[in-house]
Amino acid sequence: MRTLAYLLRESWVNMRTNRMTTMVAILTTAFTLACVGIFLLLYVNLRAAAGWLQDDIKIMVYLDDRLASDSVAEVEQHLRSDRAVASLLFISKEQALGEFKAQFPSESHLLEGLGQNPLPASYVVALSPSFRSPDSVKRWAERVRQIAGVSKVDYNQDWIDALATVIRSIELVAIGIGVILSAAAVTIIANTIRLTLFARRDEIAILRLIGATTSFIRIPYLVEGAVLGALGSALSLVMLKFMYELFRQQMRTTGRFAGLDSLMAFFPPSVCLALIAVGMGLGFAGSFVSIRRFGEGKA
Amino acid sequence: MIQLIHISKQYDQRPALSDVSLEIGKGEFVLLMGPSGAGKSTLLRMLIGADRPDEGQIFVHQKNVTTLKPSDIPYLRRKVGTVFQDFRLLPKKSVFDNVSLPLLVQGVSSADIRRKVTEALRAVGVEHKRDQLPAGLSTGEQQRVCIARAIVNGPVVLLADEPTGNLDPVLTAEIIELFKLINARGTTVVVATHDPLVMAQVNRRVLTLSQGRLLPEQRGLA
Repeated sequence: MRTLAYLLRESWVNMRTNRMTTMVAILTTAFTLACVGIFLLLYVNLRAAAGWLQDDIKIMVYLDDRLASDSVAEVEQHLRSDRAVASLLFISKEQALGEFKAQFPSESHLLEGLGQNPLPASYVVALSPSFRSPDSVKRWAERVRQIAGVSKVDYNQDWIDALATVIRSIELVAIGIGVILSAAAVTIIANTIRLTLFARRDEIAILRLIGATTSFIRIPYLVEGAVLGALGSALSLVMLKFMYELFRQQMRTTGRFAGLDSLMAFFPPSVCLALIAVGMGLGFAGSFVSIRRFGEGKA
Repeated sequence: MIQLIHISKQYDQRPALSDVSLEIGKGEFVLLMGPSGAGKSTLLRMLIGADRPDEGQIFVHQKNVTTLKPSDIPYLRRKVGTVFQDFRLLPKKSVFDNVSLPLLVQGVSSADIRRKVTEALRAVGVEHKRDQLPAGLSTGEQQRVCIARAIVNGPVVLLADEPTGNLDPVLTAEIIELFKLINARGTTVVVATHDPLVMAQVNRRVLTLSQGRLLPEQRGLA
């Protein structure tokens, strides 16, 4: 117990003795990890957005204009018996025209010029959750297209695919930047620990002479590295949260992307803890690298 | 207790020790004499595994130091106390904390640490300085603290490398008396020195090194 207390006290003494170096290490690690965090936050929110869009997908099944009413009923029966269909809403030609006029009042004169209502009747189909994956939706749409009386099946898959491509790109950038900046964080902490090791080289030599094992000598420095990493990571989360709230505030005041701010989300507590653990791991790794470089025989 | 068999060591093609063989029995008090550069410190460093010979074998407390794995060396050093000319005390730690270090690294309980450190400080006569920092002590007191640290975990061997190099004749005599007391309790003591004053005070076995070679044995003057 006393040994453990000694090791922890030594870590604290190391950090307190090199106060300025410790502060600089925590701050630079925080800024570095915050850069990674920005991409991670963007990635998490875009993924969530893609998920909502996919969950909210509505498929428009347009009917042939010349379709007789009993054939319409057949199409409806076909769709209702499909286990992939969760809900079905019929929109008649008249309803479609009414909606168009309501949504685009300034453009409604365009349709009046045509004489007759050109908008087709349609079904708005929502699929069951297990059929909402992009592939399932695609397969389902192709199958429905083959039904007699169906002229067109439309859904916003292109939009979702484009978003998926953006997300994949951000994912790659986040991984790339994450790896590079994590290596930077490891280097920053490694250098801090190296300075501490250098400052305490005489003490380390004495400890070796009186029979301290390698792990006894190393533990305070490993703890110090882990603490620096964890504090840096925690500070980066504070910075990110601040920037995130500022961004949301800005969205609300300017009125741009109204409503979108309520859909945005910060990392949940479990992810925050995981990120602090990652920071701790990076710090530990940095310290380990430094100790190895300092020399097996010395520390 | 200590056995060296045909030990040789070179640094940059220059011989530090040449074919040195010797034996030191349990409970002996041995002076290792010789001028600076004779190889005394090299020999002591080899006894604690801080350096390895180019040739030969070294046994300390029945352990072959030359073949010890690096991970086993700390356990050898826990049985061998070391005293240095420059004391090597941690400047930011109190006398008590300095002396407790060898026990801390072994995971000794707090109660035992308190008891053993108090005993060691009392044995060397600096118990009243336990809460002071090394900088607040005289050189003689610093050397006593260094000796307390070396004996606190009851080593079987005590090695001292020029322990009186920084001390005046009065303090030298006091420190030598301390070593005699420690030796009287059964600890094997090896003191490396070039100081004839020490030899004059210790009527014990004297091993003399000269340019890395061991000269025929003599005894200290009474």
